[in-house]
Amino acid sequence: MQMPQTDNSSRNGAPVPAANWSPQQQTARMLALCEAQMEAATQDSDAAVDTLVAAFTELMNAVRDLGNMSKANATDPTQSKALDDINNRCNQLSSQVAAAVMAFQFYDKLSQRLGHVRYSLSTMALFICDRSNSQRPEHWEKLLSTLGRLYRTAEEREIFDSIAGSLSLRVDNSEEPLSKEMSDAGSIELF
Amino acid sequence: MSSVILAVDDSASMRQMVRFTLESAGYEVIQAADGVEALDYAKGGKADLVLTDVNMPRMDGLTLVRELRGLSSYKGIPILVLTTEAGQETKAQGKQAGATGWIVKSFNPEQLLATIQRVL
Repeated sequence: MQMPQTDNSSRNGAPVPAANWSPQQQTARMLALCEAQMEAATQDSDAAVDTLVAAFTELMNAVRDLGNMSKANATDPTQSKALDDINNRCNQLSSQVAAAVMAFQFYDKLSQRLGHVRYSLSTMALFICDRSNSQRPEHWEKLLSTLGRLYRTAEEREIFDSIAGSLSLRVDNSEEPLSKEMSDAGSIELF
Repeated sequence: MSSVILAVDDSASMRQMVRFTLESAGYEVIQAADGVEALDYAKGGKADLVLTDVNMPRMDGLTLVRELRGLSSYKGIPILVLTTEAGQETKAQGKQAGATGWIVKSFNPEQLLATIQRVL
């Protein structure tokens, strides 16, 4: 029995593209899928990291309180050994705080960088859907320049500079890469 | 009485880290999630120092610096920018807006506290 043909399949069962199908549209949808996955992952991680940071700060506040309590009772001769031990342990934990505070900040940088990549993907999707863009090298050059302005941390800039040269039409590479004039993480400058 | 620091960042975890660091050193911390929230506070409340991020929704950090410098009570107080932005151009914009200093994330708690002590 011959099956009635639907909109989405041919006689031999192969899918038939919709009327608006094009490689550009498909690429845009794939880019949108990547962007959506990254957005969902970032949102899930945001909530988890916020909880983790809140738990960490509570924990360290408790350690600090414990240290203060042991110092306040240090004159009690019956408990001096135990209080000394508590105090030493609290000091050891406190010395790890700076490293932990710095490590937690990497998530903030990561989510910011992922945000820039997400924006790049959605901009790229819109760009390629406009057929007048894909055949015009100067439009690609403008897109590259627009996306390049997103990447403003030293780490992002370094990657951009190392790859952008091969994407750019410009042969003049006399300009120093921007990453060379960027400060390192943690640098402090007073004006 | 402890100094009051207005900490502005759209990232909740960054605000927590900044608050934890500053409160551990005895400062009182007021938190704001963006420039609009910070400016709302500043119009009615006093801070001895402002520590702000740059990229935030609704109002970015550099606009906030300019707006704060327009308020008579914030003309002379230190405003430190704490950001991932590391380029000289953006830094120059911050200086022109009236920022006192520029700190590139990730911050080291001890260095942050030393810088705050220096400018307060």
